[in-house]
Amino acid sequence: MSQSSLVPADYQARLPQNQLILGEPLEEERIDVDVLFVGAGPAGLAGAIQLAKLVKEDNESGNGVGEISIGVLEKAGALGEHSLSGAVLNPRPFRELFPDVSDTDLPFRTRVEKEAIYLLSPTRYRRIPTPPTMRNHGNYVASICEVVRWLGERAEEVGVDIFAGFPAGALRVEGDRVVGIRTVASGLERDGSPGSSYMPATDIAAKVTALAEGSRGLLAQSYMEWQGVASENPQIYALGVKELWETKHPLDRVIHTMGWPLPRTAFGGSFMYPLEPNLVALGLVVGLDYRDANLEVHELTQRMKLHPLFKPYLEGGELVEWGAKTIPEGGYHSIPQRRHGDGVVILGDSAGLVDVPSLKGIHYAMQSGMYAARAIFAALKNDDVTAKQLSAYDELLNDSYTVHDLYRTRNMRPAFKSGFYTGAAKAGLMTLTGGRFPGRRIDMEEDARAPRATTECEELTYDGELTFSKVDAVFKSGNVTRDTIPSHLIPGEKVGAELASFYSHMCPAAVYEEVDGQLRVNAPNCVDCKATDVLGPRWTPREGGSGPVYKRM
Amino acid sequence: MKIAVCIKRVPDTETRIKIAADGKSIDESGVKFVLNPFDEYAVEEALKLKEQSNGEVVAICLGPEAAQETLRTALAMGVDRGILLKAERLPRDPLVVARALAAELEQGGYDLALFGKLAVDDYDQAVGTIVAELLALPSVSAVTRLEITDGHATAQREVEGAVELVEFSLPAVVTAEKGLNEPRYPALRGIMLAKKKPLDIKEVELDEGGIEVLELTLPPDRKSGRIVGEGAAAVPELVEALRNEAKVF
Repeated sequence: MSQSSLVPADYQARLPQNQLILGEPLEEERIDVDVLFVGAGPAGLAGAIQLAKLVKEDNESGNGVGEISIGVLEKAGALGEHSLSGAVLNPRPFRELFPDVSDTDLPFRTRVEKEAIYLLSPTRYRRIPTPPTMRNHGNYVASICEVVRWLGERAEEVGVDIFAGFPAGALRVEGDRVVGIRTVASGLERDGSPGSSYMPATDIAAKVTALAEGSRGLLAQSYMEWQGVASENPQIYALGVKELWETKHPLDRVIHTMGWPLPRTAFGGSFMYPLEPNLVALGLVVGLDYRDANLEVHELTQRMKLHPLFKPYLEGGELVEWGAKTIPEGGYHSIPQRRHGDGVVILGDSAGLVDVPSLKGIHYAMQSGMYAARAIFAALKNDDVTAKQLSAYDELLNDSYTVHDLYRTRNMRPAFKSGFYTGAAKAGLMTLTGGRFPGRRIDMEEDARAPRATTECEELTYDGELTFSKVDAVFKSGNVTRDTIPSHLIPGEKVGAELASFYSHMCPAAVYEEVDGQLRVNAPNCVDCKATDVLGPRWTPREGGSGPVYKRM
Repeated sequence: MKIAVCIKRVPDTETRIKIAADGKSIDESGVKFVLNPFDEYAVEEALKLKEQSNGEVVAICLGPEAAQETLRTALAMGVDRGILLKAERLPRDPLVVARALAAELEQGGYDLALFGKLAVDDYDQAVGTIVAELLALPSVSAVTRLEITDGHATAQREVEGAVELVEFSLPAVVTAEKGLNEPRYPALRGIMLAKKKPLDIKEVELDEGGIEVLELTLPPDRKSGRIVGEGAAAVPELVEALRNEAKVF
């Protein structure tokens, strides 16, 4: 029952570039490092480890580059606490980065032995053949939190300095060159005034700054907008809601589903993976170009668990963790045309290195960090960190399997813009032709440009056993952000009742409510999934350690 | 003034505790460890005293190899150096722990030894006081205010229904109560500097002591709350529930 149609982009605030790109001279009380990785995820940590190893080898060979200080900045209070992924993981970059470590000593849970894909209807499921892009033979089920913690230990072993609990809030620049970042102040009261535990922001100067902030990275976006770095298609995103369950009934296979509970106008699917036979990760991922203003990814995830495919595993079990995160889904044509500049490189999810047809990004993120490390190392060796030197990163990446994989599947996600069945048929043809069908780039628009219409839907009553309200879910994310924190979200100027209602459905963490036609913002609830930045009020970082505390997501 | 702060590595209070297979200890896999919150007050107080009168602050931690991280947190806050008394397992008996710490403190020539009032993992509230006894020093526990001038100290303690003011001379052992101060967060610069501060590791041999854990169990699940209604109309049902369900009348 479509009433009026709403285009979220019409109401979005712009990035506050005057707060994000700071050109005044660096503070005297600054910290100096040679290379700074912003974000301790797979990309930043793999990059830091690779760089430290290259420096070590070089120095051992005599006539080396000398001591190079490498820092990694992380907004979560401890490593892994803001990291969330499925995840079925391709171990390839681990083998390259840690040739002396056997697969069994890598931080993975189980090797994928059995997998199945199902097409769901509201009450039934039918197994369908696994498309070649989704075959996981040789891959591992893993918790990205555990992977990140493990990588962090390896990084510290090779002398990398990791600073957890310090978000980067702005780029420090000189002309067109990035010369470091400024952290975010902490201990502010709700009105923005310094409280008793106030700590001012600190400048960190670096010869090279590697932006590895993850999906919808703030500084990466800000840099690309500032420097006019375009991509053929705009980046598009999906929102994933994930839960971790301790179950009574063991799961022995990796499961993916398509179809219900998504309407045909939405792209996405669900997953269920065993970390241990009785420890199960499950979730639902939905493209943020969905058309129904009342669609709620969180609610659909709850509904999904009542389906006969999932319910038998979960009954009698316990929800132990909950979380949400966006995924850049645009693929090849949405990768920024350059991922380097003077004193800067952009890595991993921040550069959109995710392959949707195989549902993977972690190994590409790590690989991008490792290529960047090689380019940064060469730049330091030549004492020249200009864009020209750092463009070696783009060349390494373009020649690698990372970009080749993404090229092969370049039009698959865009094909689903025209609906599920058409998309599936086109995707099949693309696989057969090695990516050549349809012989041209399929255009896409930003998610926020997709019009939303309101439809009537039946509300789900949460039972607290299998299904949970958003507020209960946020509790399970470990989020204990203090209530007096200032809001870090920037709504547009005119937010009416209809838009407020759309935001309240969109956000999985109950940050937004529509109260008497007005938007109410419960900022402490935010789990930094960034869906709001894609479709609603813009997101900026809060004081270090705010947000979720994921342990095994 | 030379100040020692004795600190402990404990599971984060937000951690979901699981009992290990032996039924007597907690399963440490996936558990995040932190500096005991009461020890943060002790560290903060030591740093404040140092800021007033100069001197040196030394953090001493009895714990496993991984407790180096706990010491680094204290160093990042501003402590000058750290000593890890390395023992793979801590015995349950606070007397054994206190003996090891007292032996280290005795040779340090400290004017003041600060402890947290208790460690949030065992709630013993014993180690600081036992150390004072072993070293034959004044013991002032659970202080909420501390002032030191020329080797002479006054402290405020909150006791049941009153505030007690005590005087004592240094050297002494003081344990910190919540409210003594607001512990600082380690600043970025502090974390950088902490990596280069000295941290001595000394192996210690501990006996099992006189206390044995027989069994460790989780508290029973709490029943979830229930909203009986709204306004005056809900009162009879609320009274009924308080009388017959909660049995508070």
